Amino acid sequence: MAGILVIAEAAGTGVTRESLETASLAMRLAAAMQQPVCGALLGAGDLANAAAQFQCGFSALLLVESPQLATYVAQQYVAAVQSLIAKVQPAVVLFPHTAKSRDWAPRLAAKIGSGLVLDCVNVTVEQEGVTASKPMYGGGVLAKLVVHGDPALVSVRAGIFECAQLSSGGAVERMELPQLAAHPGIQHLESISIEGAGGQRLKDAKTIISGGRGIGEKDNWHFIVEAAAALGAAVGCSRPVADAGWVSSSSQVGLSGALVAPDIYIAVGISGAIQHLAGISSAKTVIAINNDPEADIFKRADYGVVDDFKEVLPAFVERIKQLRS
Amino acid sequence: MNIVVTIKQVEDPATPPSHMVLGASGKSVQSVSGVPRVMNGYDANAVEEALRLKEKHGGKVTVVSLGDSSARNTLKRAIAMGADSCVLLSDPQWELLDSFGTATVLAAAIRKIGNVDLVLCGRQASDSDAGQVLYWLAEMREFPVASPIVKIEESSADALVVHSLLEEEYQRLSVKLPALLGISSEINEPRQPSPKGTVTATRTMVPTWNAAALAVGPLTCKVDMTKLEIQIRTGKAELIEGADGAARGRALADKLHQLELL
Repeated sequence: MAGILVIAEAAGTGVTRESLETASLAMRLAAAMQQPVCGALLGAGDLANAAAQFQCGFSALLLVESPQLATYVAQQYVAAVQSLIAKVQPAVVLFPHTAKSRDWAPRLAAKIGSGLVLDCVNVTVEQEGVTASKPMYGGGVLAKLVVHGDPALVSVRAGIFECAQLSSGGAVERMELPQLAAHPGIQHLESISIEGAGGQRLKDAKTIISGGRGIGEKDNWHFIVEAAAALGAAVGCSRPVADAGWVSSSSQVGLSGALVAPDIYIAVGISGAIQHLAGISSAKTVIAINNDPEADIFKRADYGVVDDFKEVLPAFVERIKQLRS
Repeated sequence: MNIVVTIKQVEDPATPPSHMVLGASGKSVQSVSGVPRVMNGYDANAVEEALRLKEKHGGKVTVVSLGDSSARNTLKRAIAMGADSCVLLSDPQWELLDSFGTATVLAAAIRKIGNVDLVLCGRQASDSDAGQVLYWLAEMREFPVASPIVKIEESSADALVVHSLLEEEYQRLSVKLPALLGISSEINEPRQPSPKGTVTATRTMVPTWNAAALAVGPLTCKVDMTKLEIQIRTGKAELIEGADGAARGRALADKLHQLELL
């Protein structure tokens, strides 16, 4: 087994940003290993356009295109990736860390007996072998883990690497999705979209404004929503706010919610619990508005305002609108 | 319904990195000075959900934990919440197991317990954050598995209807028992131990099963930790000043505009 297989997720008619970020790590690792990178793309629709966006100088690009991938069924993904591995025979498989991959990848690892590390911020080749760097303990600790197995499996956290550059490569080849008998134990009844998640996807958002317990009450939540609309930002929240039911838990940022990587993260009334900070470790610039000067969020933030958000936020938004016009 | 819940004792996740130190091996982390370890948050949700299913269908809830002798405290907490019995899985050779190794031990314990209808695990642990044990365990026991579960909508003696969370949707799945579920925090609010439960827990002797008792041979990890590093953040935000809140808000906007951030 040799080389790297990098597996992208299609989104709409393109590929996700995380897929391109993972590809750039793959190219870097390939240079260190002096081995080729093969790309692969899984999706339900016509992948021609997505394939064009995912030409990153791979030795070959494999497309697994099937309407059966429209609804997420774990066994289907496991079978698809297994067939890719059988064809490419890679030493390492890299893929973005997503809600889907955190489910299919451990199933695959257990099935083929490969080592797997999820949600890594780097992969290097050390004396001991393929080594993944992974934040643990809510981001308070960084672990180095040697990943054994043929192949070694690693998922890559969003927002750590730049997107890979487009560059021509080897042939594009289509592969059949292996046909599966229905799983005897689990039957998919329906998929229901989550209320409030229809807006800008948190993990793709360039700007996020999040509210925490310091917002005080549900009736104050409109301050966050209005500011988000004015800034063109996605809305997030901390765990206490989701637990209190002010907002859907799909908006929750943190270890048990979304791990986000915006250019700008505005934390309003958020104390900065370690679990929340773990979710924004990839944010480029963090701004905190909180009336508690001792709040831990100010240790993470680049810029802070210590005051009542009800006074700060509307004035901030008005001024931004003026500056933009 | 015969339910097994796997639980893990972890360092309190509220511990800031400045209060963490590396263990003697350099491959584990401890809190400095007396911060007690706790039950992993998602595992507490799993215990709660198991108790609710038992209240509805009857049966038995057994909690198992792989750890050192101090994990007895966490098992006793589950007993105090209302679990019927518990087992500590402990052996010096299991100190630094990966997800595969942990699942191997848990699978052997579940086999030994026997006639299990449902295994509930927390979706991931707050310390190692690997998120894999439940999948390895399901594969080894040949159970169907779904995770992260935010709701059990229907339950009967031989099947469940559950809600499994994806990015922007959840899937309603019908799961045939025996099965394994990874439980997420949205599902419930774990109960506090009752006074009566606390008394029961105090009197409970925690049995220990080691490698010999479970007939588990030496385990070779699929993932080996080589190094841990504590990440202490010492940064400090640049505070924006102004006459009042509104002035500070405007000054913040100006600052970000000047830096071409917004």
